Amino acid sequence: MSRFFAVALGILTAIGGFVDIGDLVTNAQVGARFGLSLAWATLVGVVGICVFAEMSGRVAAVSGRATFDLVRERLGPRVGFLNLVASMSITFLTFVAEIGGVALSLQLVVSVHELLLVPWVGVAVWLILWKAKFSIMENVLGLFGLALVVFGVALWQLGPDWGGLLQQAATASKPADEHGSTYAYYAVALFGAAMTPYEVFFFSSGGVEEGWSTQDILVMRANVLIGFPLGGLLSVAIAGCAWLVLGPLNISVDSLGQVGLPVAAALGKVGLSVALLGFVSATLGAACETGLSVGYSITQYFGAQWGKYVRPREAAVFHAILLLASLGAVATLMTMVDPIVVTEMSVVFSAVALPLTYFPILVVSNDPDYMGDQVNGHLANALGSLFLVLVCVAAVAAIPLMIYTRMGQ
Amino acid sequence: MSDADLDDRLAGPLDGALNLLDRQILDCEGRMLGKVDDLELTQQEDGLAVTAVLTGPAALLPRLGGDLGDRLVTTWSRLKVPEPNRLRPWRIDMDRVDRLDSALHLSVRREGVLTRDTEGYRFGTLTGMEASGPDDGHLGRVVDARFEPGLHGRLVVRHLLIGHGRPGSLLGYDRHDQQGPWLVRATVGRLHRSTGIVDIEAARILWNRREVRLTTPPRARPGAALGD
Repeated sequence: MSRFFAVALGILTAIGGFVDIGDLVTNAQVGARFGLSLAWATLVGVVGICVFAEMSGRVAAVSGRATFDLVRERLGPRVGFLNLVASMSITFLTFVAEIGGVALSLQLVVSVHELLLVPWVGVAVWLILWKAKFSIMENVLGLFGLALVVFGVALWQLGPDWGGLLQQAATASKPADEHGSTYAYYAVALFGAAMTPYEVFFFSSGGVEEGWSTQDILVMRANVLIGFPLGGLLSVAIAGCAWLVLGPLNISVDSLGQVGLPVAAALGKVGLSVALLGFVSATLGAACETGLSVGYSITQYFGAQWGKYVRPREAAVFHAILLLASLGAVATLMTMVDPIVVTEMSVVFSAVALPLTYFPILVVSNDPDYMGDQVNGHLANALGSLFLVLVCVAAVAAIPLMIYTRMGQ
Repeated sequence: MSDADLDDRLAGPLDGALNLLDRQILDCEGRMLGKVDDLELTQQEDGLAVTAVLTGPAALLPRLGGDLGDRLVTTWSRLKVPEPNRLRPWRIDMDRVDRLDSALHLSVRREGVLTRDTEGYRFGTLTGMEASGPDDGHLGRVVDARFEPGLHGRLVVRHLLIGHGRPGSLLGYDRHDQQGPWLVRATVGRLHRSTGIVDIEAARILWNRREVRLTTPPRARPGAALGD
């Protein structure tokens, strides 16, 4: 029974934890403009993150090595350093965006300007990283993040023409008034939002924190292969709601309030308050994950002690990095930079950094020196190779598209 | 080659850059201490032996190579000028190493294990050295070295892998037949199509000139998996 409970809890946490500020904003933006015609990009991204999260989780369970260990071991110190700088900058950017997202969500509740909330959010995030037990942080925030299921309910209540929506999703028919290049730009953004590198840093390091062994592979697979796709379904529901409510009014999403608007339209105050609870928990959970990921990647590159499973005194460098990252994120937000713009940039730059992170995972998960008889099967390798090519294409295309479309305008 | 024995890789033949460099160092309580940033090589009766594991910025930064590496080494030395031997890396004697699996395990606690008393040759200098053949022809660079246990229970360099590419860029595809995925194996095989293996007896290492002179050209192919 307790095993069943563990599996169920893991899946629910994965659903709630899948959606972060990047997914919220990008999906609502895309939904309002393109409807479900880009749902395939989310689908592809979700399959991709499932493939690589499963591999990195399996490597962590069998060999006890987290993802940035593999990056250093397989890419060497020089290219590994390049990846460290790139991935850490993006993860930090995402961390800034998540803290900003928490502040924006709270602003919707208390109507106090976000700048007055940001420092307190920063302190709260740092306290969680310093004090809270890893499993409690994961489970509580993940479960409250499930409140975002309200988007699914709202979509149903809006009573759309399901056949039309499905047809739009299946035929990927771009609305006539949108340009092909913006369509491609948002496809890369959705792909980047679903496959952000911090997810594998956090997932594999979390596995080491929780002391996974070969016996935990089954539970880990259930979390990834059921939890992430259901999380992806939430993303599609957000896009669908935005299309039905914001699309006809030609509203382009540039604030978090607009993301929640369709829920308010469909379910009124109660629905909106549930959505806000979901926003706060999803972004707060992701803020903790990205903050930890900044610490994980730097300490794993240099080999210093990391982890919440040891006392802070034992992992002094790790906790110093967490403190500095929290301070840095608050300082960045206090410059009045718009968290939504930071979010948009972080998902696109994610796409650029993907190959250098996913390549070493693919190599090591095939190496019997690390994996024994738990090396990749044919399916994992076929999908892994396919996605390696895809992330390379997305990485090359991301910045030119961003410049050419002026961030999708 | 079978690598089913995951317990202690130090007992068998291993490739320095692939199996040992950049691995996590753990102490006897499982606490992390650093990475294997470099290896100390000492000439003993039967060849160049690994005598210590080097760690810390003084070992890591030179391995970054190029302009960036040089500049960071200089910066590192300037951060605290009065400190003696600042550019000498921290070393952990191989006597204190217990075993190697996906990490390097020490047999002692991490407190007080790092010393900075002596300095020898570094493996990171050997890899990346230019290799020239008997007729002075350029053959490529040292991409890795194959070690086997020798006298005093130490790992000794037996072969050098000569080819084009970054140290460790064979990624293990020369050691395991049919290691997947096909796409990566084929690409590594293609990039390393001219990579070969040579016995250490046929190589003269000129440490100061950062160069290796070979008396016989390398045998083609370091392993079966590259498509012999």
